[in-house]
Amino acid sequence: MMEQPHSCCKGAEVLLNLQPTSSVSIQYHPFFGPHDDLVLLELDEKLLSDVLYQRVTLRGQPDEDAVLCTKSKTYSVKFVGTSNSVFLIPPADCSTSHESGGENYKQQVATASVIKVAPGNMELVEVAPRLDKLKSILSENLYSSDEASTAMGDLYKWDDLINKVQASDDELKAGLQALSAVEIDGYWRIVDEKYMDVILRMLLHNSVLNDWLLDSLVEDKVVSVLESDGFPRKLVYHCLNVYGSSVEEEAMGGGVWRLDARRVCVHFARGVLREGKRKMESFMEEWLRMIPEEMQPSFDMLEGEVLTEKIGVETWVRALSVSSLPTTPAERFSILFKERAKWEWKDLEPYIRDLNVPGLSSEALLLKYTRRSQPSIDAEPVFSAR
Amino acid sequence: MQIQVKCSCGAEKCPEWAIIELQGVVEVQPSFQHSLQNLQIGLLCRPSSQENYTFTVGYHELTGYKVALKKPMVVLKKIKYMDVERQIDEATSSSSCVELDVVGFIRHKILFKTRPTTLISGPQPTVKEKINAEGA
Repeated sequence: MMEQPHSCCKGAEVLLNLQPTSSVSIQYHPFFGPHDDLVLLELDEKLLSDVLYQRVTLRGQPDEDAVLCTKSKTYSVKFVGTSNSVFLIPPADCSTSHESGGENYKQQVATASVIKVAPGNMELVEVAPRLDKLKSILSENLYSSDEASTAMGDLYKWDDLINKVQASDDELKAGLQALSAVEIDGYWRIVDEKYMDVILRMLLHNSVLNDWLLDSLVEDKVVSVLESDGFPRKLVYHCLNVYGSSVEEEAMGGGVWRLDARRVCVHFARGVLREGKRKMESFMEEWLRMIPEEMQPSFDMLEGEVLTEKIGVETWVRALSVSSLPTTPAERFSILFKERAKWEWKDLEPYIRDLNVPGLSSEALLLKYTRRSQPSIDAEPVFSAR
Repeated sequence: MQIQVKCSCGAEKCPEWAIIELQGVVEVQPSFQHSLQNLQIGLLCRPSSQENYTFTVGYHELTGYKVALKKPMVVLKKIKYMDVERQIDEATSSSSCVELDVVGFIRHKILFKTRPTTLISGPQPTVKEKINAEGA
């Protein structure tokens, strides 16, 4: 820069390129002031290009702390103050300088002007996306079988969700997937469990009637039969997605699906326990009755979905689904310890496996939120509330 | 609500800003408090080819050095504007919009964190440096 004859002798440039034995006069800028609209934001190097290339947004409601989102991550924004004096010096606008003309530029004193004294800067901390709100707003209006034309209350399109939920686009998509939400007429909906039950049972009923194999269901056949039974196409696809996995794409006849035994068995277990806890024998009897013949249910499939407790000599089973629990660690542990005061690791693990706190391992989470005790050397360690 | 973070100058043309950081507070003589514009704070010199600097503020001389920031910073400007169309469509929501514009980035600062030395003679300072009681 300094080789050019018309190089700048003002502003940040001259300060950053100050040559040996040179000096620059530091002055208050003509527009020096508080400039509350100018803010410093510290970022990791890897975020810099995302910011410069306009790939980040700030998201949140006026009453929430803002988060900064890239395409796939969410960061909380915090102000960190400093007791030092931080003089902020902008680049000069060189095109309008040199009042005395080109010949005299060498005699001009180099100056750099301070526009503002910054009280501190913003910094970013990566956080888990705030998805609990997604669940609660989509649960306001479950899509059910008596969905006439329009539902009452608020329905949300993708853009509405972006405005309301503090999460990056990728995290929001993953959140919708985890909730088994489906986009119907542009609106994201969670389908009522009872309605999903009706569709699934109709699918299984038709499988028996038509000799369909549950691990190679032909998409087109399934959809056309269930559609003629009165179910919306979208919901039939959604059912296949929720309870199955796509096996292969056939050239003709669309995809092929395999029902997932665990997901089907969990669904029916939840149905059996919907009205409340049941004695183990009674639960097993009814549960097994509902499972399709081809599937082999095992109680292990229900980890993270049910809790067993001994009351007297009887063992009882009740529903507690990890998907119904808050995603924030403090609240998650609080509810878990309300459900049961002491947990062994093998029972606790399925209920905290999905907890995501950037920078905190599961050991660190346990350390932070639980008290570990071990009655004797041989006994299993037990976790309780801090 | 979503606030777009823009860079209206374009990523490649985004200019570099500079920071001078002192452990202390610069005080302006009372008579000059209301006419700070263009007032000299001090003279910053680079005596040798090393990245060492001196900063003379009033009777004090500070010594410091240029350092690369551990993490870069961007300078954001908050822009508020009234969206007249929104005002008509959405009766309940606020009709002002906020945008953030990246007007610069910062990778280096010139940091002065040692106690200043006092110069015996020198011009009457209009600006002087006051040592931060907790600093240094």
